Amino acid sequence: MGLLSILRKLRSSPDKELRLLLLGLDNAGKTTLLKKLASEDVTHITPTQGFNIKSVQSEGFKLNVWDIGGQRKIRPYWRNYFENTDVLIYVIDSADRKRMEETSVELMDLLMEVKLSGVPLLVYANKQDLLNAAPASEIATSLGLLTLKDRVWQIQACSATSGEGVKDGMEWVCKNVKTKKK
Amino acid sequence: MLQLAWSFLYWYLRPLIKWFLRRTTKLCELQRICYGVPSGAQRTLEVEFSLENSRCAEIKRLISDLNQASESNKLDANGRSIIHYAVYTVCRVKCIDLHIHSQFTKSFGACVQQIWGYRQLLQEVENLRKTSYDSTNPNHEEKLLLLWSLLKPDEQLEARISKQWQEIGFQGDDPTTDFRGMGLLGLENLIFFAREYPKAARHVLSHSRHPNYGFVYAIVGINITSMAYYLLRNGTAKTHVYNACNGIPSLKLFHIMYSYLFFEFDKFWINEKPKNVMQFSIVREKYEKGLKDSLADPKTILRLNFHVDEI
Repeated sequence: MGLLSILRKLRSSPDKELRLLLLGLDNAGKTTLLKKLASEDVTHITPTQGFNIKSVQSEGFKLNVWDIGGQRKIRPYWRNYFENTDVLIYVIDSADRKRMEETSVELMDLLMEVKLSGVPLLVYANKQDLLNAAPASEIATSLGLLTLKDRVWQIQACSATSGEGVKDGMEWVCKNVKTKKK
Repeated sequence: MLQLAWSFLYWYLRPLIKWFLRRTTKLCELQRICYGVPSGAQRTLEVEFSLENSRCAEIKRLISDLNQASESNKLDANGRSIIHYAVYTVCRVKCIDLHIHSQFTKSFGACVQQIWGYRQLLQEVENLRKTSYDSTNPNHEEKLLLLWSLLKPDEQLEARISKQWQEIGFQGDDPTTDFRGMGLLGLENLIFFAREYPKAARHVLSHSRHPNYGFVYAIVGINITSMAYYLLRNGTAKTHVYNACNGIPSLKLFHIMYSYLFFEFDKFWINEKPKNVMQFSIVREKYEKGLKDSLADPKTILRLNFHVDEI
């Protein structure tokens, strides 16, 4: 181990670790988002079988981000990762209008889960770089977010491939955890 | 830390050591390697290292010329003349007599062919990977349908958009989005495995439907493409490629390596007795680690050994 990495470790001992859970349908862009957060190359992504996890530093927090595969077959395993989640991040392919209904149903099921009750929700309306992407406001309506009373939530338009909007979403995450847990 | 200091020191001492050996043996480093090291990955890797670390301007220019030729896929058409160019340049710069050292020119030429053949293969693979799967391209669509008929010869695909795709392990009703960052490379890999080794491929496919250790065939296949691609790109696969192919490796060699990786992964997965499909990333990492360890030995060659139980 080099001197530099020891110094780096000493300096950035984070105040708090957060556990973020990334969920959403397959091809929504969860892994791309995860890699973007970790400043990694996003051009070689493959469909996630199982899960990926990465730790990222952001605003004095150590974010442990769990990216779980979105394929229908593995959705039943999502619940194994609910425990101790600080923020739920739900990713949506804004251009995939055919599956807007399906993604909405999955999200509603998640919000009914006891282990996720009261957990702040960030929805990324991803793929805004695509021409036929639905705007964030339209997605918020079709997901029924406006009637959500039991938790704080936010919808953030973004493009995970270009990185636009991703940071704004993470800032919201860090702020809302701070206020909630003092 | 110690290793770092040593490599630092070695960097400065290397010319001195080379000079001393040259005086005492009357041979340049490349000759010493070609005469002293057994052929295959061991020799080719050492030649590569020696060339890449040369501080001679003419050798540096030679390397950049060769890189350019391999990147623009020129090694097949006039591969010979490029190899000759490399051999003559080195002999001229290092004052090597072509007649006395004809054995050297032969072995060195072969190494050059392997080294830049590898780089050309990487370029070819990269081009395929960068080609995204395009469902409006009839050529791509034809390939996708071919994959179905190879894996499911007895079952008709009822529609292009169909739940049936999930039977061979795509995520949804339309495989288009599943190729992602691996593009056509992923599809070509899957087709090659199913076409050239139908028994092995169907054997793996049947495992993927296992009630306890099942997995998603095509998706795992595309993840294996990614593994093969990275092994090639970061140079880990050099050991295998240099040992397996004497001349310029073709795309077929990459497909065969893929088939090996996929078949062996299936065996590894079943042996690991994973609790469920969520163990995939962990098992995959373990498998990759084992591969890297065995490829670190320059004698390694990945041999296809498709042993399929007949029922």
